[in-house]
Amino acid sequence: MCPDHPVAMEPCEVSPVGEVVSFTTLHSPPEGFRSPLHIAIVELDGGARLFCHGEETRGVKIGSTVSVEDVNSVFYFSHMGFADRARLFWRRAGYRGEKVAAIGKSFVKGLLKGRTREKP
Amino acid sequence: MTRFGKRDESLPDLMAEAATAALEDALIERPDGIVVAAMNPEEFTGEGNYGSLIATHLGLSHVPAIRVETATSSGMAAIYAGFAAVAAGLHRSVLVVGGEKMTHLATPRVSEIIGRSIDPHERSYGSTMPALAGLITRAAMQRRGLTPKEISSVAVKNHAHGARNPYAHFQTPVTLDAVMESRLVADPLRLYHCCPISDGAAAVVLSAERGPVRIAGIGQGMDTIAVRYRSDLTSFRATQEAAQAAYRMAGVGAERIDVAELHDAFSPFELISLEDTGLVPPGKAGRATLDGDTAVGGRLPVNPSGGLKARGHPLAGTGISQIVELCWQLRGMAAGRQVEARIGLAQSIGGLATNNWVTIVETSR
Repeated sequence: MCPDHPVAMEPCEVSPVGEVVSFTTLHSPPEGFRSPLHIAIVELDGGARLFCHGEETRGVKIGSTVSVEDVNSVFYFSHMGFADRARLFWRRAGYRGEKVAAIGKSFVKGLLKGRTREKP
Repeated sequence: MTRFGKRDESLPDLMAEAATAALEDALIERPDGIVVAAMNPEEFTGEGNYGSLIATHLGLSHVPAIRVETATSSGMAAIYAGFAAVAAGLHRSVLVVGGEKMTHLATPRVSEIIGRSIDPHERSYGSTMPALAGLITRAAMQRRGLTPKEISSVAVKNHAHGARNPYAHFQTPVTLDAVMESRLVADPLRLYHCCPISDGAAAVVLSAERGPVRIAGIGQGMDTIAVRYRSDLTSFRATQEAAQAAYRMAGVGAERIDVAELHDAFSPFELISLEDTGLVPPGKAGRATLDGDTAVGGRLPVNPSGGLKARGHPLAGTGISQIVELCWQLRGMAAGRQVEARIGLAQSIGGLATNNWVTIVETSR
């Protein structure tokens, strides 16, 4: 069921890349989980939010781009390096015109992010 | 209410201690109804059918009794059920009693039982209450600019208050350094940012007759049980909606509140709740705490009892103990931590803010 409307949901394809919404490291996890346990909420491109496990959180920040992998129905996030992100960006953008527009958009987004981060 | 903390008595005995004191204070021998709040007594104590169990234990086995549960806000939900019964004219007086007995179990087992109120999918990833609170805290630090010092100051203040409350679990102050250097539980949350595991019970009597304090407004707010379905992790919609409903019913605004009891199960929750209830403008809760505005003697004392952090958190007992504290404050009976107040607000969080309550009480005129 959709959490806000009493209607059934349908399966759909989503991109395996998203942004970290928040993350934590649990130092005394429940039985059956190894310690420390890294947990993140990741918002996939397209809006779906997932709980994920991760190998580590070094270098991860809120807003970091991560790839998400499904291993035996458990989601794992891993931090994407600059090269990974550049490759992904190039593969996704279509025609040359779209590429230029997307670079522009990404630049503006970066600026806006930079500005919000400056706030105390 | 009973003293909170590590207690040897059984849960029915603790509830009886709290109930007897409340009935004596109200000069009522036999209420028309009983509402019992207990979150997980079947698993904590092995006993169920708590409405009947407590009625019989109190020697009131023929008084109609029900049990109410909304996770960690069960106590406030019980107040609501009792209030509704009196307001509807079904009963002239209702005894509301709630509590929990937890300290006899090992901490991982207690965490597991409390964790049953978390969305099953999120739980399957090892999420516990501290884990979800850690996710909320990191998001709030990033988006709202909460600092570790502001968060830790809440714990320092509430311990200082608890040191003046003979009913509190912890009656010793802590230093800012001790809080900020305590071990990490769910990064960035540290041990001293988390409330303890406590035993205890609290009770109030609600009556159609005029008493010294009246319930002016009570509101409930809901949110998705899954935290991942929420668009905003840095405030609790369930508190905001409960507060709006309570203010509307009471016919007063946030500016009229003199004292508040907020659900600081984790220290940052007090800061988030201060803003969700409108008691402090958005983005100002951290500053207000550092400036001492929310300490006893400040502009708006928050958690003079010590809050969940120092008074303790026997789950279903907590919401009722907040109302008990406000009644004592409004009646001038809170020796050692007394504040000047005519209108008080209590806020209770159920689960990870899935089922929240705000109650406004005022001195009868």
